[in-house]
Amino acid sequence: MTTPLPDSPTAPVLGEGPRGIRLTSGWALLSGCVTAALGAVGLAIGLNVIFGASRHLRIGWLLPLVGVRFDLDPLGGVFVAATGAVSIAVGIYAVGYAQREHWARFPLIMLPLFVAAMLLVPAAGSVTTFLLAWELMAAASLVLVLSEHHRDAVRSAGVFYAVMTQLGFAAILIALVMLSAAGGGDAFGTIAAHVDSIPSGTRTAVFLLTLMGFGSKAGLLPLHAWLPRAHPEAPSPVSALMSAAMVNMGIYGIIRIDLQLLGPGPHWWGLALMVFGAVSAVFGVLQASVATDLKRLLAYSTTENMGLVTLALGAATILSSYGAPEVAAIAMTAALLHLLSHAAFKTLGFLAAGSVLAATGLRDLDKLGGLARRMPGTTVMFGIAALGASGLPLGAGFVSEWLLLQSLIHSPHQDNTLLALTMPLSVGAVALTTGLGIAAMVKAFGVGFLARPRSAAAEAAREAPASMLTGMTLAAVACTVFAVAPVLLAPALRQVLAVLPTVGGDVAGPALGTFLRLPGVAGSMSPSLIALALVVAVLLALGLARWGGRHRPAAAMAPLWACGADKLSSRMQYTATSFAEPLQRVFDNVLRPDTDVEVTHFAESQYLVEKVTYRTMLADPVEQRLYTPVVRAVTIWAQWVRRAHPGSVHLYLAYGAMGLLIVLLVAR
Amino acid sequence: MSWIGKIGRVGRIVEPAQDAPEATSKPPTGVTGSLQLRHVDAGSCNGCELEITGAFSPVYDAERFGARLVASPRHADGLLATGVVTHNMRQPLLNTLHSVPEPRVVIAVGDCACNGGAFAQGYGVVGSIGDVVPVDVEVLGCPPTPQQIIQALRTVTGR
Repeated sequence: MTTPLPDSPTAPVLGEGPRGIRLTSGWALLSGCVTAALGAVGLAIGLNVIFGASRHLRIGWLLPLVGVRFDLDPLGGVFVAATGAVSIAVGIYAVGYAQREHWARFPLIMLPLFVAAMLLVPAAGSVTTFLLAWELMAAASLVLVLSEHHRDAVRSAGVFYAVMTQLGFAAILIALVMLSAAGGGDAFGTIAAHVDSIPSGTRTAVFLLTLMGFGSKAGLLPLHAWLPRAHPEAPSPVSALMSAAMVNMGIYGIIRIDLQLLGPGPHWWGLALMVFGAVSAVFGVLQASVATDLKRLLAYSTTENMGLVTLALGAATILSSYGAPEVAAIAMTAALLHLLSHAAFKTLGFLAAGSVLAATGLRDLDKLGGLARRMPGTTVMFGIAALGASGLPLGAGFVSEWLLLQSLIHSPHQDNTLLALTMPLSVGAVALTTGLGIAAMVKAFGVGFLARPRSAAAEAAREAPASMLTGMTLAAVACTVFAVAPVLLAPALRQVLAVLPTVGGDVAGPALGTFLRLPGVAGSMSPSLIALALVVAVLLALGLARWGGRHRPAAAMAPLWACGADKLSSRMQYTATSFAEPLQRVFDNVLRPDTDVEVTHFAESQYLVEKVTYRTMLADPVEQRLYTPVVRAVTIWAQWVRRAHPGSVHLYLAYGAMGLLIVLLVAR
Repeated sequence: MSWIGKIGRVGRIVEPAQDAPEATSKPPTGVTGSLQLRHVDAGSCNGCELEITGAFSPVYDAERFGARLVASPRHADGLLATGVVTHNMRQPLLNTLHSVPEPRVVIAVGDCACNGGAFAQGYGVVGSIGDVVPVDVEVLGCPPTPQQIIQALRTVTGR
């Protein structure tokens, strides 16, 4: 093929001439349409499987020895449908985004491939197929993360992501190979049939390894470090796909392998999930609330939300193992619903952040602002996403977080110390997470979009093109459905819950009607009526204010009050850093900020200040404490191993001969 | 709980109210007993500021007659201006006045504010408050006593 290398120095030439632009547009249109079409197919197949019969497909010739096997049940179906729905919005958005950002051809080809790989993961019916699809997904996403590889930050993020995702893959590979060896087969169905014969030591090892592998994909602590690096540096449609669809696959793996195939496990499995989930949620939201990079903030918010989902999964497991299936069903519903609503609002969040990035070239909140007048459509979209992420009424995350809190509060723990301890602590963790999440989202929306522009780039921002707005609108509609009408999702969720572990067929899950009713637990709520009441109250207040002010004289224009000075400048505004400063101070021990204030005096008098320099650095403390020593140790070890590579061909031939000799001796 | 005992020991220290003066101007908001003021130091020696502090202290307690000092001209019914107007403070004084919603009053406190006082004709001085903005009430004195300031405020609050 004579295609130029992606984003190589020659690539921008393509976008210069009118013919080049037309060419890029054509490719962008094709790539976006194929992505959206794949998404639509995924959504259709997913819904079909959820409501109809399970699908099975076996292609014997595709892989040697075992072949490829796809088995779709409602659990896989819901993940396929969610991935498909995200891909439709992202595909339509990508048409405009790729044209505006002059994407090279290679990432445009990889985008639909990435979606296809993600759609295959939940459909896989055997260990080999699963691993194949998983690795395809990881490789495709890595290529997409690197699509702007001429920047240093992107290359560093790419290396980080590649190492972590491959380590995660290695953990999953070892775990699944152990599982299929002990379970007597490659297909998940065979393993499920022989699960009782698997020794408990193998089970524990498989659980721990898969928790590590899937946890790193889902962005759980302490294996989250790739997320806040790769998501900001990847192009925004790719960030949206990764953050809204790919991290879900980590959760899918935990549900499918650990809870469904291996489960029910011992009590500590659920406890481990809860601890990892709660720590991830609190840590993620803390980092999000002090982040000043818009996409980094959203990436940390992904860690937070995946933490909440894992916490809910753990709660469901532990509750069901202690004989409270009704409450466990509520927790499971919360996990599933939060996963889906997170997919909706995080897609929208990253797409809106992408349209800000495309319009201004900025991700730094301290330099944004004033976008509400310049990009009204994008502002409304980001507002919907931020509302969803804050877990407030009218937001997409509200119903699921309410369900999660209900399940934690109503857990029966009369004479069970473990439940009596974990559940109230979890309630605290969820409450703290939600509260800080609101602060993070208020910061992202208020500082990023309102007030005046803080830089020339933000001042010159233009609204996104129609295709980007269309993609965002689709995601916004999904957010609204999650927020006010979860009743529309109730039939699909009921089908999925019936096959889910810990819930089973005979336990009634919570009824997601106009009123959410929780069987066996005193508690009900109606998101639609809350939304209606809010809208009515706002309209009523507006009407009353207008009626009360009908005799008032016409409003007079007055200059802004600038404390007597002539005018306000945008530098006097609240910034994201100053907004987060109190939080940074309160959580000083966890965040470990590195701040430095430097005051320069005039030479004439030390009472007069010439300038004040404030510098603050917020590095991820987990990364510093955990990753830096590991990386240093690996580097030392690699340096030591390098001594065996002096570059002599004779020595290398001797190594080969010795290796062969050892193999022959061992396998004698 | 020593502070409760202290309240008892100290007792009421407020000066008895003098007779209400004749109201010279109507309260700007049309409500008697409510006058929110933003204080502007246009170039004062801070003598008047000390007396204003005294006027609003527990001893003279101007607030019992309805006058209050507020933090923003947006909350105010008028200005309480002190000092001669210096070149540097001319524009801020105008900006502050324009930020007070109408109808509003301007009360000039002290000799400098009313006629330039000791600093009249100074090289850095524009003039008295009245040379820059229209003044409704003048309080003479260098500095005026808290009682004088309060009596002037009462002519506006109507109490």
